[in-house]
Amino acid sequence: MVDWKTHGRPDRRGGLLTTKVQPQTDPSPILAARGLGRRYDGFMALGSFSLELRAGELVALVGPNGAGKTTFLTLAAGLLEPSSGTIAIAGELAGTIPARRALSYLPDTPVFYEDLSLGEHLAYVAALHGVADEGARAAQLLERLGLEEWENSLPSEFSHGMRQKASIALALVRPFSALLADEPFDGLDPPSREVLFELLAEARQEGAAVVVSTHRPDVIAAASRCVGIRDGRLAYDGPPEADALGEFFEH
Amino acid sequence: MQTAALGEMRSARRRRFVERLDVMEVLYRVYLAAIFGAIGLAVLASWVEEAPATARAVADMRDHGPAVLGLAVALAVLMGMRSGARGGPLAIEAAEVQYVLLAPIDRGVTLRPAALRQLRIAVLAGAVLGAAIGNFVFRRLPGSPVEWIACLGLFGALLPPCTLSAALLASGRRLRPAVATAIGAGLLAWTLADLLLGSTTSPATLVGEIATLPLPGGGPVALAGLGLGLAIALALGWFGLRSVGRIALEAARRRAALTAELRFSASVQDLRTVVLLRRQLASERPRRRPWIRLRTAVSSRYPVWRRGWQSFLRWPLARLARVAAIGVAAGAATAGAWSGISLLFVLPGALLMVAALDLVEPLAQEADHPTRRELLPVAAATLIQRHLVPSFAAMASVLLIATLAALAFGASATAAGVGAVVLFPTALVLVCCAAFSATNDPYAYVLTPQLGYAQSAAPLVIAVVAAGAPVLAAREVARHGGPAVSAAAGVEIVMLLLAVAMAWWIGKRMADQTAVVAS
Repeated sequence: MVDWKTHGRPDRRGGLLTTKVQPQTDPSPILAARGLGRRYDGFMALGSFSLELRAGELVALVGPNGAGKTTFLTLAAGLLEPSSGTIAIAGELAGTIPARRALSYLPDTPVFYEDLSLGEHLAYVAALHGVADEGARAAQLLERLGLEEWENSLPSEFSHGMRQKASIALALVRPFSALLADEPFDGLDPPSREVLFELLAEARQEGAAVVVSTHRPDVIAAASRCVGIRDGRLAYDGPPEADALGEFFEH
Repeated sequence: MQTAALGEMRSARRRRFVERLDVMEVLYRVYLAAIFGAIGLAVLASWVEEAPATARAVADMRDHGPAVLGLAVALAVLMGMRSGARGGPLAIEAAEVQYVLLAPIDRGVTLRPAALRQLRIAVLAGAVLGAAIGNFVFRRLPGSPVEWIACLGLFGALLPPCTLSAALLASGRRLRPAVATAIGAGLLAWTLADLLLGSTTSPATLVGEIATLPLPGGGPVALAGLGLGLAIALALGWFGLRSVGRIALEAARRRAALTAELRFSASVQDLRTVVLLRRQLASERPRRRPWIRLRTAVSSRYPVWRRGWQSFLRWPLARLARVAAIGVAAGAATAGAWSGISLLFVLPGALLMVAALDLVEPLAQEADHPTRRELLPVAAATLIQRHLVPSFAAMASVLLIATLAALAFGASATAAGVGAVVLFPTALVLVCCAAFSATNDPYAYVLTPQLGYAQSAAPLVIAVVAAGAPVLAAREVARHGGPAVSAAAGVEIVMLLLAVAMAWWIGKRMADQTAVVAS
């Protein structure tokens, strides 16, 4: 589990890692979906979907619009319940308290309390996950995402990109073993995209499994593994190689 | 630690909310509410007859009162069950779902305070309303004022929590809508059987016993019923609160988004959006297959008429049942009003307006899309006025149900004659009122909100008058031995003129809107 209290202090750039942490070698999967299916009023959004993710993996989840990517992520987050099959996070069924402790979910649409400042959001979310002193980590994230001047601002004052960055900070301010990010690069300017790349890579280095739903070629190329979904079914699972993926997208 | 953080943050948010309140604004609202409440109570009091009820009426009430009130309880449970099966009754903020319900904390601990708060408000509101009704009832029925106020206050305190608790139970136990409806309908049928057989077996009838306790002749059976009824209502609340932590997040998220929009739309009196959002909240979607397929050859000559009926024939069963139930309730209220309870004259118009808002859906969809409307080779006013025709025909069917229901609930042959006379004109006025409401621009009077309130309230007021005034006039004339049907017809002529004026106004409004879009 990524825990900044044990793994590092901010460096000069506000970076997280001063101590390099080796990826975990635990063979048990952090995320295990078996025969996962989800229907909406007779429409199959996901069917017989099986997938295992291990510590240290950075997975790009790709597929056309409506393929079932968000359905899979929300099922893993415990926001949706499967119509068939199971999905476990750190060995526990998605949605249970241990699974919620292990998984951080970054939604495609940021949500905030309109009466809490960004700093209060960070303190609150960290406390809800049992982190007593989130100050250093929160300060790092705000600085790296360029939000330090907005710490005391309300979400209503944020632009679309700033809301996205604030949502990223909230997903990363707490410890996790798996991070599921739904289109996290949307609305970010190039420097912020670069920072997010770094943050995801650091999370991966620290032993978390990271899943990023995306359409961006640069994110796919940076991933260690690519999972393609088409019509609610697993259509590709392998390295992010251009030829193989090209065939997937041609379909 | 997590629970403490939750408590601290909620307290801080409450404090911040209170700090931001404008004290003078709150006091002004309380002052207005007190004044209008007092006026309302005075009007109600003046309408309630104070002549003591006859011995036979009291005996009837003793025998059937608990079951009649039990029907209200069963209906409350049915509504709660259906709401719970769709994720109600809690409206959780989207951020609360994302950050608190996904945090490693027992969801029961996080959600119970909100559920308790809703229960508290419901209990208090119900108790006040029940006690106020008790204050009127003791004037006509035997029993001391204290007994009536206490018993009706207690019954009132239990009725709304029955809805909330049933909803909490259904959402916590993840009951499917069909199962939840079956349970609620089963309780309703059981209570109806009690009413027909004069027995006291259904849990809802037992809760109804609480309200009729001051009537003579109850004895230990009524007392036992009261105890059991109270225990049942409290048990329902306890089980509901216990299961609150198991609600489905999917439904909670959906509900969170919809209720936020619903509150905003209600705050700007955008009734059309409120209707649409309420349908989404209730998962009311048109049927893929219509109940009946219209024959093209006949109906294609009248495309607007055909379009209207295509919409009605795709109504989900729940909407059909609701509109039919509204017809029955309006008929029952009219029968009650005809028999002497003048207060009930307010109800039919208000109820039928709800049905009319459903029935003007094809027209409202046309009004929602001015650009699409502009592309049609028909004048906007003509198009919208043509849309009134199928809605009027369907509304007349609902009023026919209401008339038959009034007869079934004991209205006289004279009342039936009055019903036949008022049916078509009232249907036209109601449809015009609903169309007026659905085509309102909620932002037309942003700078003069009083005009905005008047614009929103006018259709409802006209609907209440249109459905109540002709029958009230006819009843008064009949009491004095005059021609009741002629009296109703006289009032209806005025109503018809009003309907024509409204139809013209709606057409003009659409034409103006289209001109703005075109420019």
